[in-house]
Amino acid sequence: MNLAKVIFSKTFLVTGFSALSLGLVVATAAEAKLTVLTTTTDLRSLVEVVAGDLVTVEAIAKGTQDPHFIEAKPSFMVKASKADLVVSVGLDLEVGWLPSILRGARNPKVAEGSDGYLEVGNSIDVLEAATGKVSRADGDVHPQGNPHFTLDPLRAVKAANVIAERLAKLDSANAVKYRENALNFGKGIDEKVKLWSARVAKSGVKKVISYHKTLTYFFDRFKLDNVAILEPKPGIPPTSAHILSVINLIREQKVPLILVENYFDPTVTRKIIQEVPEVVAHTVPVAVEGEPQIKNLEDLYEDLIKSVETSTENSVSKRKAG
Amino acid sequence: MKAFTRVAFWSALFSCGFVNLSSAETSSSSSSGGAKVMNPDTSISVLGLFRKGVSGNDSASPLPNGLLFQEAELQFTADVDPYLRAVALFSIAPVESAVAHDHGFAFEPEEVYFETLSLPSVTFKVGKFKAAMGRHNLFHTHAFPFIDAPLISQAILSEEGLNDMGVSAAVLVPSPWYTEFTLQALAGRAQGLFASPNPNAFAGVAQLKNLWDLNDSTTVEWNLFGTVGLNQNDTKTSVLGTDMTFKWRPSVGGKYTSALWTTEYLSTEKLSGLSSWLQYQFGERWWAQVRADFLGLTHEVGVEPTYKQSALLGFFPSEFSGFRLQYDHIAHEGDPADHRMSLQWNLAIGAHPAHGY
Repeated sequence: MNLAKVIFSKTFLVTGFSALSLGLVVATAAEAKLTVLTTTTDLRSLVEVVAGDLVTVEAIAKGTQDPHFIEAKPSFMVKASKADLVVSVGLDLEVGWLPSILRGARNPKVAEGSDGYLEVGNSIDVLEAATGKVSRADGDVHPQGNPHFTLDPLRAVKAANVIAERLAKLDSANAVKYRENALNFGKGIDEKVKLWSARVAKSGVKKVISYHKTLTYFFDRFKLDNVAILEPKPGIPPTSAHILSVINLIREQKVPLILVENYFDPTVTRKIIQEVPEVVAHTVPVAVEGEPQIKNLEDLYEDLIKSVETSTENSVSKRKAG
Repeated sequence: MKAFTRVAFWSALFSCGFVNLSSAETSSSSSSGGAKVMNPDTSISVLGLFRKGVSGNDSASPLPNGLLFQEAELQFTADVDPYLRAVALFSIAPVESAVAHDHGFAFEPEEVYFETLSLPSVTFKVGKFKAAMGRHNLFHTHAFPFIDAPLISQAILSEEGLNDMGVSAAVLVPSPWYTEFTLQALAGRAQGLFASPNPNAFAGVAQLKNLWDLNDSTTVEWNLFGTVGLNQNDTKTSVLGTDMTFKWRPSVGGKYTSALWTTEYLSTEKLSGLSSWLQYQFGERWWAQVRADFLGLTHEVGVEPTYKQSALLGFFPSEFSGFRLQYDHIAHEGDPADHRMSLQWNLAIGAHPAHGY
């Protein structure tokens, strides 16, 4: 214990605080190549599209994880401490974990309000923003709007432009390249959206059920009517009574397709398929790397479009069903 | 708990609009429009308890049997300006001596501090805060892994843990893994461990925290910490401790299953002990937990060791509500064992909290 007494002596503490104040506060030297940390793999994909090899980019959440409930691992704080830019979705998607990571990072470059912190959701034309009083009796709602906008290819283009502008501000030497890449991405997506829209129209699918409101923007873009959600309220697991009401709705409205986001339990659809064998249930990735073959956002959109198409090819799902 | 009654102060605080409870109606930590966005994020946690001891109350807990108001916590947090962030957490809990008689309550600032936001690598903190004395000491009551604190925390650091006025510096040490070194100077006149009557009393705390990612799903955290100050007899007393936590949450299916195993050891000159607990999530809303406490690994002559085993089943309808049923078996060497069942409800309203790890 004597050692402890020495360690905690007043002299030691005073010296220690002085050292911390004067000596240990050392800013790391800026590197030429920007380091970017994104909250989701979708945003990482957009940074890759815009910046290519000009930046180093990593994502916090994995594509297989529900981005509402990521844990604020201290290892993420280490990554954020070395970042020049943190890109988040915003709209309260990361409210339960990102503030802890940013505080733990102790990196003023990426603090909220600085140029090194970008909430893309602030620049997006969002859906489902609350207009009246919001209460948690409505479930886990996002008053500022649905945060899953990267599942709409055209809003993803908007997000790419927002990211390009911020990268251009932080790294003006490559500003032209960032803007050019975002522009080219937009042109490619515009063409593909026309093709994807035609394929969805050809499939004949007009009504879809999902587990959570994750696919709202995808459905909105491709004119698919999300007639029911398996969660009775956002964030509340399905109940038997609610599933029965969904079964009745599927029968009444002849809904052909259920898409279950792959971080939710797909077994909930078993009861529905038993009762209504005609309906097809697909477990789908809803983020880049949600499945190993989904390397970028275009892969993700292509996969979702295929899920809609295969619902009417035959009644046996070719994909993992619940 | 030391009573801290400032009715007039609180009346003034509420009436002047600093505390706007209307923000509790939204699920957002911020709201759009006007001055409301500048209000602190406000949240309130309420802990209620039904407890039944089969063979009397155990000496380790001051709470009696029956239906109990365990605690309410009011938390306000906001950035003061681009440089500082303020946190104020007030606790309302039954006063020990008054519980059975007149149902008195203490209103106490559990944590009230400000910390730096804009300094690289280091966070300075000034105010009243929970000392960096291991993993459990930093939990507020609503976030305790079990309904009560481990025996070693209660016996060595006091029922509410080591919590005092002071200054703190926490440095993120550059390394390939997470390493944080924290140095704190405390007033050293808090209740419990450092209740010195000396007006020049002073206590120091140091902690080294490490966390490694073993893979995408598993982390191991190891903390080494200690403190020294003056006790109620105005003589030096010190505590050394260490804890280790394994945490597993698979990156595929982690919404429905996870596990955590923590072991904590605390030691003073006169007493030492350890506590080890395992928490297993077996459904989206379900947890099963067990804990073993051993107080008296080393102890003074005449002090009998205490063994306690606890089992807990937790059901969490949402992120903001939880119901936990806990069984405790408490054995004092030479005495008959106590058995106790407790049912706790834990509700939170207001701003969405940013969780620690």
